Amino acid sequence: MHTDAATAASADRPGSLLNLEAVVVAFGGLQALGGVDLQVWKGDRLALLGPNGAGKTTLFNVIAGDIKPTTGRVTIKGIDCTELPARFRPRLGVARTYQKTRLFRGLTVEDNLYLAQTGRSGRHLALLRSGVDTEFRTRARAMAETVWLADVVGVTAGDLSHGQQRQLEIGMALVTGPEFVMLDEPASGLSRGERERLVQLLLSLDPDITLLLIEHDMDVALRAAQRVVVMNEGHTVASGTPEEIRVDPLVHAIYLGSEAGLTGAGP
Amino acid sequence: MSPAATASGPARPGGTLRRLLSARNVVVAAATALALLLPLFGSNFFVEFVMTRTMILGIAAATIVFLAAYGGMISLAQYLLAGVAGFMVGNAVVAQDAWSKGLKLGWNPWVAVLFALAVTTFVAFVLGALASRTTGIYFLMITLTYAVIGYYVFGSITPLSGFGGITGIDPPGLFEDHPQRMYLALVVLSVLVYVAFRVLAATPFGLALQGIRDDPVRMASLGFNVSLHRTLAFTLAGFTAGLAGVFNVWWNGQIDPTSISIGPTLDLLIVAVIGGTLSLEGAWLGAFVFVTANNYLRNLPLVDHIGITEARFNTIVGVLVLLIMILSPDGLAGIIDRVRKGLRRLIQQPPGSGAGPAEAATGSSP
Ligand SMILES: Nc1ncnc2c1ncn2[C@@H]1O[C@H](COP(=O)(O)OP(=O)(O)OP(=O)(O)O)[C@@H](O)[C@H]1O
Ligand SMILES: [Mg+2]
Repeated sequence: MHTDAATAASADRPGSLLNLEAVVVAFGGLQALGGVDLQVWKGDRLALLGPNGAGKTTLFNVIAGDIKPTTGRVTIKGIDCTELPARFRPRLGVARTYQKTRLFRGLTVEDNLYLAQTGRSGRHLALLRSGVDTEFRTRARAMAETVWLADVVGVTAGDLSHGQQRQLEIGMALVTGPEFVMLDEPASGLSRGERERLVQLLLSLDPDITLLLIEHDMDVALRAAQRVVVMNEGHTVASGTPEEIRVDPLVHAIYLGSEAGLTGAGP
Repeated sequence: MSPAATASGPARPGGTLRRLLSARNVVVAAATALALLLPLFGSNFFVEFVMTRTMILGIAAATIVFLAAYGGMISLAQYLLAGVAGFMVGNAVVAQDAWSKGLKLGWNPWVAVLFALAVTTFVAFVLGALASRTTGIYFLMITLTYAVIGYYVFGSITPLSGFGGITGIDPPGLFEDHPQRMYLALVVLSVLVYVAFRVLAATPFGLALQGIRDDPVRMASLGFNVSLHRTLAFTLAGFTAGLAGVFNVWWNGQIDPTSISIGPTLDLLIVAVIGGTLSLEGAWLGAFVFVTANNYLRNLPLVDHIGITEARFNTIVGVLVLLIMILSPDGLAGIIDRVRKGLRRLIQQPPGSGAGPAEAATGSSP
C-alpha cells in the first residue's frame, strides 16, 4: 500500500517544505544537535529514528520554534524561520505533538480541540461567540471521533487515561488542518491494538499532508513512512526507504541491532 | 478498537456537570437575595461596616481569584491597583478650598470615577505587560515588587498622596449620607463582577486564558500570543480592582500611602486564600469571614489577653488561615465543595440512582 504512494511522491516533487541547514543546538557543554541538514518535501512521510538522546525531540523543537538553534538555519515554505517564535508556525500550516503530552488538563476534550483551532484564527481575543465558533465546535467533535474520543468529549483532559491523552495529543495537532504535522512518539504507551489503529489513522491522512514522525516502534514507523532518517548523537547517520533502513548494517549497529522486533516488522 | 479503553475514564457526563453548576447558581442567587434584603432586618452597623466592607474586599479579592483560577497568575498587585484608583478619586474630587491635601482638582465625582478607572486600567496594562512573561512564583514576586514600589511611589510623591494622605473625600450625592444605598450598589456591582467573570470564562478569550493557565508552551505552539493574553487579563482584573478601590475610598473618606502598604496587600491575599483561590464565590466568602473576624473577634473575652487589638486580630486570622490551609488548600470554597461531594456520594450509595436529593445538601452556605 505504501509503496504505491512512495512511487507517486518521488514522481513529482512539488518543492521543499522544510529545509534545515547545519543546525546546531548546544545545551551548555552538551551538543544535542551537531550540524543537521534535512530536507522535507511536500507530501513526504518521513520517520525519524534513533536511540534515546539522539536529538530527535530537540530537532522537533527547533523546527517548531520552541527552541532557537545555536547556529544554522530553518526554512519553512521558503521563509526563514530561524528567529521566528513558535507562535508564528501555525500560520505556515505547521502543527506538532509533544513526546510528553501537553494538554489543557483543566479543560474538556472538546475545549482542547476547540482551542487548538482558535489560535490560528485570531478568534481567541473574542468576547462573544459567533458562527465561526460553532464551526470550530463541530470540527472539534468530529476530530474527537477520529481519534476515538467521541465517548469522552465532555471529560476533563486531566482525567483521561494515558492512552486517551496520547490520542487527544494527536487530535490537537490534526484538528488545526495542518499542511505539515510533526508527531513525537505518538505510539508510546499505547496498547498493541491502539498502535494498529494509529497506523491506520496515519495511513488514512490526506496525501497532501506532510508527516514527520519520531517513533521508537519500528512496526509503526516503517509502515507509516515512505522515507526514514536515522539519527545518532546529534547527527543524521543514514537515510533511505524503510526497506533500505531495515537492512542497513550501520543502522543495525547503532540502533536496530538491539531491536528484536525489526525482522518481524512489516505489513 | 478497544471500546473499554475509551469508557474507562472517570465518567462525568455533561448532564451531571450542568446540574452541579445550576446547584452552584441556586446558592449564589439565594445569597444575593439575602444580601439585597439585608438592610430590612440587619443592624445598621452590620450593613454599613461589616457587609459594605465585605463587598468591597470581595470584589477586590475576586480579581485575585479570577487571575489565579483562570489564568494561573497569583497577583499581589490588586490592592495597589485599587489604591491607585482611590488616590486618583481623592486627588480629583477634593475641592481647592477644602482643608485637605493632594491636587485638589475639585472635579465632579463621576468624572473623577472615569478618570480614576482610566488611570488604573492604564497602570494595570503597563504592569501586566511587564509581568506577562513570567508565571508561578516569579509572577507572584514581580507583583509583590509592584506593591512595594507602589507604596513608596505614593509615599514619596507627596503632591499626589498629600503627605499624611488625602482626607475629606466625599462620595457622590447619590451615596453621601446614604450608606445603605452604597451597600446596595456594592451588592449589585458584586453580582455584575461575579457574573462577568464567569461568563468571560466561557468565551473564546476565557477559554484561551485557561489554556494558558494549563500549558503556555502548547498555547504558543498553537499560535496564541501568550503574553498579550496574560496582559489583557491582568488589565481587566486591574480595572475591576479599580472599581473596588473607588468604593473603598468613598467608604473610608480618605486614603494615605499606609493604606496600600504590604499589610493590606497581604490581607487581600489572605481573603482570597480563606475563600479559596480557585473559586470566585470564595472571594466574597473569604471577605465576609475576614471582616467578621476583624469586627467581632476583638471583643471576645478569651482572646483579649493577647494584647492590643491589632495583634490580637492578626493572631486569630493567622491561626484561621493556617487551619483552613491545612484542612483545604482550596480554602472554604474547597471545604464546602468536598462536603457537598461527600454528601452526594453518601446519598448516591446505590450507583446510578438519581442525584436529586444531593442538591438539597448544597444549600448550606452563608
Ligand atoms: N532542555 C534541555 N537542556 C539540556 N539538555 C537537553 C535539553 N533537552 C534535551 N537535552 C539533551 O539533549 C540530548 C538530546 O535529547 P532529545 O530529547 O532531543 O533526544 P531524543 O532523541 O528525543 O531522545 P528520546 O528518544 O529519549 O526522546 C539528550 O542528551 C538530552 O539530555
Ligand atoms: Mg524525544
